[in-house]
Amino acid sequence: MASVQLTINGRPVAVPAGTSVLDAARRKGFFIPTLCHDPQEPGFGACRLCIVEIKGMRNLPASCVTTVSPGMEVETESPAVVEARQTILELLLANHPLDCLTCEKNGDCRLQDYAYRYGVKGERFTGEKHHYPVDLSNPYIARDLNKCVLCGLCVRTCDRVADRRVLDFAYRGFDTRVATAMDQPLGESACVSCGRCVAVCPVGALTFRSLAGQGRTWQIKKEPVTCTFCEAGCTFDLNRKNGRVVAVTPREAGPGRPLCLKGRLGMELRFIKDAQAPLLKKDGQFEKSSWAEALGLTEIIDRMRERGEI
Amino acid sequence: MPDVNLTIDGVQVTVPAGTTVLEAARTAGIFIPTLCHDPELSSPGACRLCIVEIPGMRNLPASCVTTVSEGMEVKTASDAVTEARQTILELLLANHPVDCLTCQKNGDCRLQDYAYLYSVRTNRFGGEKHAYSVEEDNPFIVRDMNKCILCGKCVRMCAEIQGNNVVDFAFRGFDTKVAPALNTGLGGPDSNCVFCGNCVSVCPVGALAERDMLGQGRYWEIDRVRTTCPYCGTGCTLGLNVKDGRVIGVTSVPDGDVNGRALCVKGRFGYGFIHHADRLKTPLIKRDGRFEEATWPEALALIADKMGTVKQEYGADAIGVFSSARCTNEENYLMMKLARAVFGTNNIDHCARL
Repeated sequence: MASVQLTINGRPVAVPAGTSVLDAARRKGFFIPTLCHDPQEPGFGACRLCIVEIKGMRNLPASCVTTVSPGMEVETESPAVVEARQTILELLLANHPLDCLTCEKNGDCRLQDYAYRYGVKGERFTGEKHHYPVDLSNPYIARDLNKCVLCGLCVRTCDRVADRRVLDFAYRGFDTRVATAMDQPLGESACVSCGRCVAVCPVGALTFRSLAGQGRTWQIKKEPVTCTFCEAGCTFDLNRKNGRVVAVTPREAGPGRPLCLKGRLGMELRFIKDAQAPLLKKDGQFEKSSWAEALGLTEIIDRMRERGEI
Repeated sequence: MPDVNLTIDGVQVTVPAGTTVLEAARTAGIFIPTLCHDPELSSPGACRLCIVEIPGMRNLPASCVTTVSEGMEVKTASDAVTEARQTILELLLANHPVDCLTCQKNGDCRLQDYAYLYSVRTNRFGGEKHAYSVEEDNPFIVRDMNKCILCGKCVRMCAEIQGNNVVDFAFRGFDTKVAPALNTGLGGPDSNCVFCGNCVSVCPVGALAERDMLGQGRYWEIDRVRTTCPYCGTGCTLGLNVKDGRVIGVTSVPDGDVNGRALCVKGRFGYGFIHHADRLKTPLIKRDGRFEEATWPEALALIADKMGTVKQEYGADAIGVFSSARCTNEENYLMMKLARAVFGTNNIDHCARL
């Protein structure tokens, strides 16, 4: 393909024709923030954070949907661009819970990263805020739509699984939200809990319930492992805190890769060393109990404890 | 000292008499949250987060100021203890800005750690909030008293370790605030602050921050590289805060070999030279009245040559050697050897001969 010459922040850059300004800039190491950009399916152009200044263009175009042209002069961090990004972030934060204190995404949140970078505190605009109940109907995925920034990454990643397409935008305007068919809770929808939507969520709207309360993002080290259940070779992350695996989470799905719940649960069984507490049926109800009780060894273990043997 | 036997959360613990319950629990590896406690400072028992349940005692005593006694049965995480801790945290958060989004302390904040641990949200109590302006009256330390939880660690650090007594509690009740004399700010005319920043190193929340580190990076993006301060022969241990290969600040390490967490203004805040544009990175040789960049072999050869000429023409005592406090003992020793054995002069001195 023909090569196109342009300048980004005063530096000459040559990229193949058809490249987006975003890709051209990122390839050269320039920082451009994005929330909705999906490298596998580029061109959504919704979040507007990737706007840049291009000489001769009306307004500030979104770099993810602008292709390079010869002689283009791009500024990725001009005062106009920074001001526009600050306003976009302020508007997003105007209807976002300031909940970093206990949010599971704290430390790995794009909205937070950009707010910090651009010095935005979320105090400028006040207005209506969503008060959706947190959807805990799915045993694996927590959905807090109050934190959703409507980037649509979850919708698009789910859409790529032909027989799923569980999520889409519903309602209009301020009421727009990502919903399942007929706006059912996730647990009652056709969702198979593969978790690919959680893996791409840039904020704390979708989180893994297995990680809730287990530790902050900066305390958890992720280590990739490949699932061996089938030949697809999906990768999962072992989440280690103080060296101990506390949860296994799916990594972003690769092209043509499915990711499934079976794989993840299998990985959990394989890698999480702590045996889960056994359940004993008492009065017709399963109740958590100790292994000592389940195995009928309570007395022996108590005696060993008394004698200081364990 | 005689030993005392007690049980903490069912675990048998034996500690010397006079130990606090907090120390005993921590020795046994049992977690108890604290905000105002510091092993190197006196214990005011102010924050009450370290409360535990001890059957037979009235209320929940603060473990940092309760000494162990024989046969004591301590519960550090009973329902009553957890509920009380949650309430304490909620009360602290009732008058604390919800600013983790951009707070420099995010990720290394004890209040945040404990709020997460005890699932405390901020919205239980509504009430008056402080609206102090952020104090930025000096080049080193930013004080945001809205975030202060009045643990008093900075007060005790300044008094007990630094020995400067610059800050103390001022005013009463809701208006209580940590302030220097006459509440004029650290950079104020009546402040004796020497900007050692040791108060910043003990602040458990975001009330005190290193000014030049603001906006430079988040806690989890920063590598802390343990090293020795090059400014003088004391050899304080400090932590270089490195992000993307650049030093963005200096912080104390908890267990500095000679200094603990204490540093001086130079060690803590004088790191600007590291990436300074004017920093000399090659030797310069003056040729025709102008300094020109040279290589080390060139420069050293020139020095040796000139020294030799001086010695030949005027004798060895025409040379004097002045060494530096920024050198280590070993380097100063070598300098002495160079002066006496190589140059042949006893004219050797040192800038820190105090």
